[in-house]
Parts: sequence; structure tokens; C-alpha cells
Amino acid sequence: MMDYEFKMKTQKDRIKVEDLFEFEGCKVGRGTYGHVYKARRKEGVPDSELKSRPDTKDFALKQIEGTGLSMSACREITLLRELRHVNVITLIRVFLSHNDRKVWLLFDFAEHDLWHIIKFHRAAKANKKQILVPKSMVKSLLYQILDGIHYLHSNWVLHRDLKPANILVMGEGNERGRVKIADMGFARLFNAPLKPLADLDPVVVTFWYRAPELLLGARHYTKAIDIWAIGCIFAELLTSEPIFHCRQEDIKTSNPYHHDQLDRIFNVMGFPLEKDWEDIKKMPEHQTLLRDFKRSNYANCSLTKYMDRHKIKPDSKAFNLLQKLLMMDPNKRITSEQSMQDPYFQEDPLPTQDIFAGCAIPYPKREFLTDDDSEDKTENKNRQNQQQTVRITQYQQQNPQQQQQQGNGDHNHGPNPKRVRLNGPHGGPEFHQHQNHAMQHQQPPGMVYSTNQPTQPSNFHQRF
Amino acid sequence: MAGNFWHSSHHQQWLLDKQDLVRERQHDLSILTEEEYQKILIFFANLIQVLGEQLKLRQQVIATATVYFKRFYARNSLKCIDPLLLAPTSIFLASKVEEFGVISNTRLITTCQTAIKNKFSYAYTQEFPYRTNHILECEFYLLEHLDCCLIVYQPYRPLLTLIQDIGPDDQLLTLAWRIVNDSLRTDVCLLYAPYQIAIGALQIACVIMQKDMKSWFAELNADMEKIQEIARYIINLYELWKTYDEKKDIQALLNKMPKPKPAPQR
Repeated sequence: MMDYEFKMKTQKDRIKVEDLFEFEGCKVGRGTYGHVYKARRKEGVPDSELKSRPDTKDFALKQIEGTGLSMSACREITLLRELRHVNVITLIRVFLSHNDRKVWLLFDFAEHDLWHIIKFHRAAKANKKQILVPKSMVKSLLYQILDGIHYLHSNWVLHRDLKPANILVMGEGNERGRVKIADMGFARLFNAPLKPLADLDPVVVTFWYRAPELLLGARHYTKAIDIWAIGCIFAELLTSEPIFHCRQEDIKTSNPYHHDQLDRIFNVMGFPLEKDWEDIKKMPEHQTLLRDFKRSNYANCSLTKYMDRHKIKPDSKAFNLLQKLLMMDPNKRITSEQSMQDPYFQEDPLPTQDIFAGCAIPYPKREFLTDDDSEDKTENKNRQNQQQTVRITQYQQQNPQQQQQQGNGDHNHGPNPKRVRLNGPHGGPEFHQHQNHAMQHQQPPGMVYSTNQPTQPSNFHQRF
Repeated sequence: MAGNFWHSSHHQQWLLDKQDLVRERQHDLSILTEEEYQKILIFFANLIQVLGEQLKLRQQVIATATVYFKRFYARNSLKCIDPLLLAPTSIFLASKVEEFGVISNTRLITTCQTAIKNKFSYAYTQEFPYRTNHILECEFYLLEHLDCCLIVYQPYRPLLTLIQDIGPDDQLLTLAWRIVNDSLRTDVCLLYAPYQIAIGALQIACVIMQKDMKSWFAELNADMEKIQEIARYIINLYELWKTYDEKKDIQALLNKMPKPKPAPQR
């Protein structure tokens, strides 16, 4: 039983989310985790309520799916309450709404994320349009992702669900162009786990970004699993294509073994040689692997060839680092600390704190979702789960030609007629550096994605 | 930070000082003597231990639940929430935070009912009165009053490191580990850093086993005054236990304990 007076006093002291913020009709995201709103501070709300963020107008309010303190809400609060790093999203405040038993988390508002950024580049590529961004942008993105993950890893926190939608980028403001790693609902501490890390959530990490050892039934999550996902994101930034794109029916099956996803990985990487991954024999699903796959089917596959098709040269520093991040054997995969020392980051153009390096931000701001959008989305359930993000319907309308081009390219599975294919045709103007390779001699370091646009002067080499 | 005690909310927000405790307990101590107050908190720490063992939780989870419980009453009177409700709520929350998973509500309630009936009948004559909805409501209040600080550092890990440094000694470890468990029946987890508690427990263990480790302790570079204070708290507990029969005394104490008041009738 609770004391009446105590209840009344706690209730009086409690600040309600709707007392501080205006956010009706301002939904910007919807996913398995819940809803995210772009929230504006109400007039007269003092800074002291918002832990001294005097100039900030916009905030992100995340209403967690379901009621009460779910496991993922609990994780996110527990960890973010303790974490503090420029490249990890800051939890400003928690609101517990007693009446409807909802949990609200208040964050800084990030205008962009890698899912939207990559989508924008892919759409531009399909429409043969070019987008002006600094040559160093991908490098800056990768560096800051690694920096944030290194902080998490050195504090015994695994993210476990890294994917483009969870990598946010700040828009205009005092943290312009800064990466923020978000969505810690899957994250957990891993020093001396009380239960094997695989026991609680049978399957985490979206399939496309899932490391091969997980697909082969590894029982323990490791730092190397986050690093693999970062490798996938890096490749996707370089090419605008999800490197291990794979059609998938249902997400969150209790069985981690996933034939099609492994097939896709081997199609890009080649089938792992025993000498390259000695412990593969010890994987729980190794027998299934031997039964289902034939090495000879992948004889002509290699990361070198795949990236070369996407105009990333095998002798480039970018490729070199990518190869270390996407090492099949988790024991041989590079660590976040080692990757931050990689020559790629010492070579011009150097990474910048503002990933836009002072240039104009070419990406649109987040749009508000109506409830219709979210309903439409449930029809695209797979896609939605995959990306945990928004505006699928709009995307379909914009890119009819991409849909028609399904099945072209190097995906060896048939197109699913019901599903939107995000991959644009290969060989169009790429989202990435290859054009620049050709231009490097003629052009001062600067803009990359365009070959024929004037270079914009700005502070490209602002160092970390 | 999660991996670094010095940057943690535990270190920055939840190492209280003696004066804080005295001030916050003023109301309860106008009704109970200090010793009675301590006996009540010991009783509920025992209850949490028993519930945790019945639920097959690890000691780490039980310890975290106990610390949540004690943190709440370090800032609130015993009358604010019935400790019989807060105890299982603390366990429910700690199990999630420590990644032991969500304990099924029915299992938690059943465990409470059975424990109260079979193990604590000397304290409660009536059956366990709370249901799932009470626990869930209480969890929000607990979370609020903990200011969402949920990661608790325990002395167990520093203890293991210290023992490793001394050289393997299972007997010493077992004894010191038990003393750490016992320390959860004192205020030390609210007042001192976990590594200090570990050293304090180890020191008592060495004295009991007549193991002369003076020079090793001297080299630790720890604030020995604080270690002595911790040892004093724990030794006082052992002194109290020599003469105290919980089974005989607790019912009277629970009756005397300040109780929540329901909403005024109109």
C-alpha cells in the first residue's frame, strides 16, 4: 500500500511531458521501438527543466512501445543514464506517465540519419542527379561511428543493433554534422553476464548487418559483432547499396541460422577458407552449413570484385579498411581502437567534426508522419521491421523505375513483386568516390559526389 | 559510465553521507529507535534474500534489489510505501536491469505468497496482500525516486580482484563474500564505494581467520579510516545479532512501524 500524502506529493512534483512540450502531429518516426516526435519546448518552460540547453528549441521525444517498463525501455534508460560521449545520443530526461503507463525519453533532436541519407543518394543516383557533399563525408561518418562505438566498447557496452537507421546526424545548430549513435534498446553490458548473452533475445541485429558467426549460431555477442555491422554500414555509404541485401520473410525467428543471408554474404565475400576462419568448425550450425552450401558455388566471389564493380579500387585505403572490418573470422576482425588508427583516416581528406565540413546540408529535413503513413507501413511489414523507419509509401511513388529494375545486378534471388526494392540499378552515377578517383588530380580536395560542379570553398580540413 | 565507477551515477549521486541519513530518517526515528529501525531494514533485506533465492536469482541481482530498497528509504519514510510491497518491486526491477529477464508477474506474486506463508509466518499472520497491478504501479514510483539511476556497483567483483592479488584462498574468499552479503544489512552500501566495502569485508575475514595481512592492507593505498568505519558497521551488526531474535521481536516492530495512510474519506 502507498501513503496518500506521499502519492499526492510525488504527483505534484512530477513534471508531465505534455506540460513542457508541444508535439501533437509532430511524429517523425515509427518503429518496433515505439514512436518518435519532434517536440518543441512550450513557452515559459525554464532551461533548468532541460538541463541547461538554453538555445535548443527542438527535442526528440520517444514514446516507448507498449506500457510499463519493458526490457528494452529498461536497458535504454539504465545505460543512457550512465553514458556520456559526443557520438552517443544523450538521454536528457525520462518521463513516466502514470495514467497510461507510458515511458517517454527526451533526447536532443537529430535532423538526419544514415537510412534517410543513403536513401536520398540512392534516389538521386536513380534519377541521374548529383548531390554535393564534402569528399571527406563518408570518412567523417565512419570515424565518428567508430569513436562512439569505441567509447561503448571500452565501457563494456555492446550496441548489438547497429544499422543505418540507428546512426543519427545532427542538423543545423551547435552540434552540426555530428554523428550520434542511437537506439540502445538492444544494448547491454557484457562484463560477466549473468546469463549467456544469446539467451535473452534469441535474435538481435537486423539480418543485413548481422555477422556471420551470429548466423551460424554463436551464443555470445561480442564487440566483433558490432564491428561487422559497422563494416556493412561503411560499404553501404561507399556504394549506396546494402552490401548484404537479402530478401527476408520474417524477422526475429528464434533460429539464428539464416540460409539466404549466409548465401548473400558468400556471394559477396566468397566462401570462407578453413585457414581464414579456423574456428568455423566450432560454430553450432557448422554441420548445417556444410549440408546446405557448396564452396564451388562461390568460387568467383570476393569482396575485391564486389567493391570493384562499385568502383571502389582494391588498392584504396577505404577498401583496405573495409576488408579489415568485414573479416569473416571474428577473432581476426579489427577492433574499434585499431580502426581509428587506420591510414585511411590519416590520408587526405581528413575527417571533420562536422561531417558536412561547413557546406550546405543537401538532405531534406524530417517530415511529419500522419497516422495514414504508419498504417500503410504495416502493409510493408518486412520493410518496416528492416529499417524501422518511415515514408515507405512516398518512396514507392517516387521511384517506380527502381521497382522495375528489380532482379538486375548481382542479387541471385528472384525479386519479390510485393516488396519495394531499395537498390538502384548498378552503374549509374555512384553515391561515392569513384568519380573522385578520376578527378583527384584536377580538383582540389573538396566536393566529391559531383564532377562538374564548382568546388565550394570551406573548412574541409578542420581536424578532430 | 557503465564500466567506470568514478563516472557512474552510483558514485556521483548515490554515495550519501551520514548526516543525510540522519536527516531523512528524522520522521521514522521519532517513532522508532535507531536499533528498531535497523532491525526492520534487516528483516526486509532478509525477505529480499529469501524471495531472490526462491526465484533462483543470482546474488548480484539480490544485492542490487537490496540497494534499490535501501536507496528508496534513505530518501523516504517507511510510511510512504509499505516495504512489503517495495521489496518484491525492487527484485522485479533489479532482475530486468541485471539482464536476468522479466520475472513473470504470477510467478513473483506466487513466490511472495508462499514465502510469507511458509517462511515469514512469524512476522505476518495474513497472506501477502499485493497483486501485479500494485507491483507495476510501485515500480514507476521506485524508478522516479531512484532518479533512474539503475546501475549499482557491488563489492563482489573488487573482492575477487583483491583475493586474486593476495593469492588464491577459497576459504578467505567464501568468508569475505559472506561478510559482503551481511553488509547489505547495514548502511554501508549507501555510504561507501563498493571497493572500500570489499576491503572492509576482507579485513574482517582476515581477522576471523587470523591471517596477518597488515602489510598487504597498508600497501593498498586506501583510505583506512573509511575502511575502519565500514568494519565498525559490520561488527556492530554481528554484535546486534548475538542477542536479537527476529522471530520473537519482529511482529511487534512491524506493528510499531509507521504505516501508509489511505486517501481521506469524504
